[in-house]
Amino acid sequence: CGFTPAYAPQGGADTLSRAVQVRAPVTRNDYMLTRQLETRLGRAVAADYLLDYTLTVQDERIAITANNITRRFNLVGRASYTLTTMDGTTVTRGTVDSFTGYSATGSTVATRAARADAEERLTTILADQIVTRLIAAASAT
Amino acid sequence: QQTAFGSGQVDPDQPVEVESDELKVSETDGTAEFLGNVVIVQGEMRLAAPRVLVVYDEEGERIKRLEATGGVTLVSGEDAAEAQRADYDIDGGQVVMTGDVLLVQGKSTLESQRMVVDLNGGTAQMEGRVRTILNQKKD
Amino acid sequence: DTTDDGPAMLVADRVWLEGRSRVTAEGSVEVLQGDARLRAARVSYDRDTDRLTVTGPIVLTRGDNELVLADAAALDADLRNGMIRGARMVLNQQLQLAAARLDRVDARYSQLTRATVSSCQVCGTRPPLWQIKARRVIHDQEEKQLYFDDARMEVMGVPIFWLPRMRLPDPDQTRVTGFLIPSIKRNSQLATGLKVPYFITLGDHRDVLLTPYVSAKTRTLEWRYRQAFAKGRIEFAGAVSRDDLKPSLTRAYIEGKGHFQLPRDFRLDFTLQAVNDPAYLTDYDYSEADRLESEITVSRIRRDEYISAGLAHYRTLRLNEDTDTIPSIIADASYERRFFPKWGGEVRLSAENHSHLRYSDTLVDGTDDDTLSDGLDLSRLTVGAHWMNAWTLPAGIRAEGRIGVDIDSFRTVQDPGFPTSESGATPSAALTLRWPWVRHRNGVSEVVEPVAMLTWSGGSPLNVANDESTRVEFDEGNLLTLSRFPAPDRRERGGQLALGVNWTRIDPEGWDARLTFGSVLRRAPDTNFSASSGLGGDTSDLLIAAQLRNRAGLTLTARGLFDHKLTVNKAEARASWSSDKLDLSAGYVWLSADPAESRPVSVSEWSFESEFDITRTLRGQLAGRYDIAADEPISAGFGVIYSNECVDVALSASRRFTSSTIVTPATDFSFTIGLRGFSARTSGGTVARSCR
Repeated sequence: CGFTPAYAPQGGADTLSRAVQVRAPVTRNDYMLTRQLETRLGRAVAADYLLDYTLTVQDERIAITANNITRRFNLVGRASYTLTTMDGTTVTRGTVDSFTGYSATGSTVATRAARADAEERLTTILADQIVTRLIAAASAT
Repeated sequence: QQTAFGSGQVDPDQPVEVESDELKVSETDGTAEFLGNVVIVQGEMRLAAPRVLVVYDEEGERIKRLEATGGVTLVSGEDAAEAQRADYDIDGGQVVMTGDVLLVQGKSTLESQRMVVDLNGGTAQMEGRVRTILNQKKD
Repeated sequence: DTTDDGPAMLVADRVWLEGRSRVTAEGSVEVLQGDARLRAARVSYDRDTDRLTVTGPIVLTRGDNELVLADAAALDADLRNGMIRGARMVLNQQLQLAAARLDRVDARYSQLTRATVSSCQVCGTRPPLWQIKARRVIHDQEEKQLYFDDARMEVMGVPIFWLPRMRLPDPDQTRVTGFLIPSIKRNSQLATGLKVPYFITLGDHRDVLLTPYVSAKTRTLEWRYRQAFAKGRIEFAGAVSRDDLKPSLTRAYIEGKGHFQLPRDFRLDFTLQAVNDPAYLTDYDYSEADRLESEITVSRIRRDEYISAGLAHYRTLRLNEDTDTIPSIIADASYERRFFPKWGGEVRLSAENHSHLRYSDTLVDGTDDDTLSDGLDLSRLTVGAHWMNAWTLPAGIRAEGRIGVDIDSFRTVQDPGFPTSESGATPSAALTLRWPWVRHRNGVSEVVEPVAMLTWSGGSPLNVANDESTRVEFDEGNLLTLSRFPAPDRRERGGQLALGVNWTRIDPEGWDARLTFGSVLRRAPDTNFSASSGLGGDTSDLLIAAQLRNRAGLTLTARGLFDHKLTVNKAEARASWSSDKLDLSAGYVWLSADPAESRPVSVSEWSFESEFDITRTLRGQLAGRYDIAADEPISAGFGVIYSNECVDVALSASRRFTSSTIVTPATDFSFTIGLRGFSARTSGGTVARSCR
């Protein structure tokens, strides 16, 4: 059916392992996105590629009660990424987006914990989507 | 009305003195060719050029026309003009300078491709994308 | 004086020298001086007076922001001073000033006498949409201001108001003290009122915006203060009101935020929210917050090190909550450090201290939603050390292993149900296997990736209050993780196997898609999971998540939790569509009833927000929010924005149906007219109408 294992020797994806230097983080969301990308791709020792990204996260109120209490929030995330070789030629680029929700009907500390967890889940989803697209690009060449 | 070029005392009947290193006279067509540091003086006006062709009138006594070529400098009063070529029609009282004309009047200069000086009318007209710096009086 | 003082240069086809001092030029004459450039049919220059006499048609430009067309002019040689007749001046390619006479002084002031000012397209002899006629207009190019004397505003030729003196910013002006665009606001509770914002610059780094808002029912002053420092900035906003809704009370609110760069790459952030009457924010539509959060944090974020410490205070505006019995003072400090030893993999050390305090000291549970005593205060410290690594196994399997331990210690006071101190260790080990298969056919790439994560966590549950982990979510983001509880007061223990498969389609020319299935099998169910979280029982709900994106700008993302009988426990979806004509974002959520999450009945809502082009100059806005379960609208709104090259008209109406003892349903209506061409914010970049 035409599918081959991407990380098999002739699959091509293994060229990314321990070879991508991910952009340094600025915010907590960046930190989690970079951490997940480095965990999935393996920390670069002598990098052949640079992975740059810009990450935006906005929150939206949803499930408003009749007396105007916000029961839930959506965290809407978008990351656009660019993979370049060390001398700057672009290998591939793209954008990924998704959202995660968290409930705000618990106590204040439950809502804060739920929000922090939703941020971590969102950055994990975006990182996994970026890695999947990098695997597709690396195995296509 | 002040003349625009030179000091305005140029009178076409004034004698024209010509000096040069060398002189070739051609009896047949009534012309004389002065070569090498040619200087022509008429009253206040002084014209210098490496080569000047002088054309006399039919009787051969009065100069009718001068053709100066090879880089001409014309000075009259405080004004000075340079060009590649100058044609002075003495009877008409008109000097036509052509080719990289540069006219210097006091602090301001004018450049163009052609200039016609009317010695009688005291006017000078420049043509051909004239460029000049309008001198600024610094207050 | 920034203008260049160099001599002016004149270029022309023909130049006459008349007398000693007069030079006359004809034939596409140009005079160039600094950034000023004059083109005319004929210019004569008098050396003695250093004046130019210019006959038109004249085009005088200065830089690319000022253009003057005129019939005749008498200017000095450097084009800085002089008088121009029959002038039409265009500022910033937008604002046109026509005048019988224009006097220029020092290349800074232009005085226009009997002037008409407008930025509207003038078609034939029809009067423009609006114009200002004035006896005199002075344009100060340095201060970027326009001063009008005896000014009369005309709309479509009809005079509508007259002002002895008026000042407006020129199109280049970005920041100057003065009135901004007023707006009419009608609110069913506060009747029709007028908001007139006045902006005051206090030097280059500070400014204040004062907006009086007066109506039949309220006298309000809204304010905003901003200040930029070398290493940070602050912004505060607020309002003070006396109104007929609560006549006996002066109501006020304040909101603030700011950040500062601290030494050694640390950064300080703060937010502040306070109000002296719970209904004030919704009555005036100042904020939708139902809990006021004030927080100050110091943090430093680097690639291998995360440090953050913060203190937060909450005040609730929710009717079913009382600030005394909710955790209102919260302190958090967390540290994470990542090492990469030579022998491979990553060592991740982390430490997190959290404490929260409730004002109340009662030792029993009152009427609030939780079952904990109203006075419960808690402090916890968690220290963790984990080693992890990733390998590529033969046949292309990508393996991630991790092993580590987390030590939690809790201190609980004012709740006899829990021991004062409790601590325990949680060793854990996990192996994740991913086997991505790829296929590429004529430009379309597909990735199918089965995943499996075998996890074991030891230790026994601690006898501590569940104050923070009462709302657990399950989605693709925590399918593969050690513990899905958001806080350490609950941890998943024992063995579990998470299984999933992702299918991704990538087509640079066509549509992208993503489909994920996932489920968690565990040896023993965890009773801390609520029913609707989908993680109860020994087999979790089936997580299905999908996404579709096309080149036209549509993105559809959805996910759901389906239990064994394939009935839905939770479903959420979001659509966004952005094209040059339409911006739409819509959301849907369905949550099954779950008393443990204080949700006696199922909750379901759809909402959307959109902005779209109706015509080239007309743009519409529509928004709505509908509570499907309760079968009643929550809010609805529409708006129309008309903007052409010289005017912005914005009309919007919104209705909020929600009501409670402090919240009353209200319809808001607002209307603003802004003249374009004055101040950089409104000038430039719009659709110029064409004459028909």
